[in-house]
Amino acid sequence: MNVYEVFLKKDGKDEFRHAGSIEAADPDLAMVLVRESYLRRAEGDQVWLVDRRHVVASNPGYIDPNADKPHRFNDGGRVAARRKAKRDESGAAR
Amino acid sequence: MPRDWSPAEREYLLAFADDEHLMGQQHTEWIGTAPFLEEDLAFASIAQDELGHAAALYELLGDADDLAFRRDADGYRSCALVELPCPDWAEALARHWLYDLAERHRWQSLGAGIDDRLDGVVARARREEEYHRLHAAALIGRLYGQDGDAHERLDAAVRSLLPFADALWEPVAGEQEAHRAGLATVTSAQLRARWRPEVEAVVGPVPWDELANLGQDARRQRTEHFAALFDRITEVFRIDPNASW
Repeated sequence: MNVYEVFLKKDGKDEFRHAGSIEAADPDLAMVLVRESYLRRAEGDQVWLVDRRHVVASNPGYIDPNADKPHRFNDGGRVAARRKAKRDESGAAR
Repeated sequence: MPRDWSPAEREYLLAFADDEHLMGQQHTEWIGTAPFLEEDLAFASIAQDELGHAAALYELLGDADDLAFRRDADGYRSCALVELPCPDWAEALARHWLYDLAERHRWQSLGAGIDDRLDGVVARARREEEYHRLHAAALIGRLYGQDGDAHERLDAAVRSLLPFADALWEPVAGEQEAHRAGLATVTSAQLRARWRPEVEAVVGPVPWDELANLGQDARRQRTEHFAALFDRITEVFRIDPNASW
């Protein structure tokens, strides 16, 4: 048996989204079974099945060194706060 | 304006509706007990589709509840294939395959343009039948092609069901008149001639003439299994026949 990752796409501009996985003997059988397992209620208009063996996955720990770099999290909040403070300052001086 | 069906046309449609009804009911036996979850969902959906086809055909002829639940056994026109118990999954799968191969031809043979409501029912059923055929072919193709247990069990199931499946094509009462009226565009004999090669393409040559003969007009007689099946089907209905659902 193989595992296939299931991606569904709704009509329109939505991207394909991962919905789960399905186990089947081969791709054709997976496609037969996925319809009633994942698409009974029009959850999507298109489906992709990806053989899990074809997924390139990271090793554990590979991502970790990136997790403690707060300087990369620039949401603009601090800049905005500083600009607001400057504005308030100059407004008060006027 | 809904068509006023002649008695012969009613007989013809009723035979199909009864087959669909009982086939759907039989498939529901596997809800929660099919061999694996995904198949459970697929088979239950197919059961639901067949019941939907039956309800839609019944509605063309009258009140669906009356026809489904308030008729005597004598009033049924089902074929033997759909009355048999198939307690083994191999049997249930073999019957699903044999029946849906046949059902597809039956839907395709109903005449278009004689009744708007019928046209709608046919269009929906034909879309749904494509999946039934695909599903049956996918499972039968893989399991029958194997060596060993799967093949042996399926082959035994198919062989035991073939006389009943082939008898599905015995001319239905009212068929000639239905044909003249344009309701049936193809005779049962012609449909049988399309169906048999599809069966043989998977299981190899079948000695059709040597199959057990179920006799003339088998649809007017219920098999010994009907009573128990009908009892189960009507179990909830009988609790309160006048309940509104």
